Amino acid sequence: MERAPNRPLANALYAALGLLAFFSLWEWIGKAGIVGPTLPAPTDVAKALMDPDTLPLLGSSCMYTLASAAKGLLFGASLATLLAVVIHLLPPLRPGLDRLAVLVNTTPPIAIGPILIVVFSRSQTPAVLAGIQVFFLFYVAASSGLAAASPALGRVMIGFGASPWKRLCYLDLPASLPHLASGLKAAVAASFLGAILGEWFGAPHGLGLVILNAMQNFQVQLMWAAVVVAAAMSLTAFLLAAGIEKIVLQRFGK
Amino acid sequence: MTSAGIEIQGLTKRFTHRRGAVVEAIRHIDLTVAPGEFLAIVGPSGCGKSTLLHLVAGLEQPSGGAVRIGGEPPRELVRKHRLGVAFQDPALLPWLSVQSNLGLPFKLAAMPVDREKVTALIKLVGLKGFEHARPSQLSGGMRQRAAIARSLCLDPDVLLLDEPFGALDAVTRRRLNIELERIWRDRPITTLLVTHSVEEALFLSDRTIVMERPGAIAQVVQVPFLRPRTPDVLRLEEFHRLTDQITLWLEH
Repeated sequence: MERAPNRPLANALYAALGLLAFFSLWEWIGKAGIVGPTLPAPTDVAKALMDPDTLPLLGSSCMYTLASAAKGLLFGASLATLLAVVIHLLPPLRPGLDRLAVLVNTTPPIAIGPILIVVFSRSQTPAVLAGIQVFFLFYVAASSGLAAASPALGRVMIGFGASPWKRLCYLDLPASLPHLASGLKAAVAASFLGAILGEWFGAPHGLGLVILNAMQNFQVQLMWAAVVVAAAMSLTAFLLAAGIEKIVLQRFGK
Repeated sequence: MTSAGIEIQGLTKRFTHRRGAVVEAIRHIDLTVAPGEFLAIVGPSGCGKSTLLHLVAGLEQPSGGAVRIGGEPPRELVRKHRLGVAFQDPALLPWLSVQSNLGLPFKLAAMPVDREKVTALIKLVGLKGFEHARPSQLSGGMRQRAAIARSLCLDPDVLLLDEPFGALDAVTRRRLNIELERIWRDRPITTLLVTHSVEEALFLSDRTIVMERPGAIAQVVQVPFLRPRTPDVLRLEEFHRLTDQITLWLEH
């Protein structure tokens, strides 16, 4: 793909113009009611978002979803990385665990939601579902990352008599960090997906619940406002992860 | 600690490819390297010289025969962290500074890092002022020098050098040869150097062996030049005669 010419000011201007055009068009469609009442104008969504009656609800729901996603990210990522390390040290386990990870990934999350509610609880399901979404991404990132060190570096480790554990600490783990950072970038969005989906199965709080309730009660503005909050939160987390990836690449990349 | 001698007896290494074809990389080699001797190995590509070095390093297991270093298998020497290695790829950890890369052998051996020695080695290979530089900030020659300094960190009994200057231009290579000769003169360690360069082999070694395909020793040359060797050695008539002789063997 051709990269856009490096003219930051012009590019920013084009982006701003594009966004302005997009939102103006949307505003016009919404105000005119061309596609019916389910597509509100952006200004109406903003009004609903800033409404003193709904703002506290959206705020606390956002924090609840954020907590579930973060919990899932933390547990999913830790478990996946730990498993990848164990397999790295005990290669005979690899084929079996690879298949298990694929199985976990290919099972539609919507299908296992009810099982999770039975096994865990309605309030834990969002975090668990987020963790499952994150697990596979991190498992793949960690497995390929731990195998990423060059053979030449491996030979040096062997030549200097490094034990498998020392080799892990001084070579394979640091070499895997760029892969893990890329995994993190992919995983943050997946963790929000899992958390919000998990909330649809009857969690007591959260943006997913607000979206579902607003839909059922035909509170279109509120539904859109909750979606905007969810998108903003996910995007912020993504940008944060992208920043972390950039730093890690600078420090540990080639 | 004193350097250890290397005894190689009836060493054979065969590789089996996926289709079942067997390639003999080393064919029944007998070789003794005295403690503190500098031995250079030259030969056409594919003659098994790197494989020989890998067998001595314990990176490969022999198909037949044995390698003994100070009477023990290479694995023992490696386990005791008494081996120093530097390969064509300097293989420095990219996320560590020069100083930390030189501290690595200590850490792998679970020993406290000897700061004074690291500093002295950095000075010895002419990297003073670059202690905190990352490998990516160094030139190819500087990285090679750091790798050689790293191989010397633990005062190894045996030093294995596989084309450590292979990727360098002729001028840098010659300068590093002179530096290596000086370093080695200060502390004679039993050294095996695999190289493509006949001049490098003759300038550095006490003895140069010429290998031929597949995996056998064709000639052994005693190198007569006295140490300390200076670049003047490169201009001796005897040096040119030996270079021509070995080059002729290699072209065979």
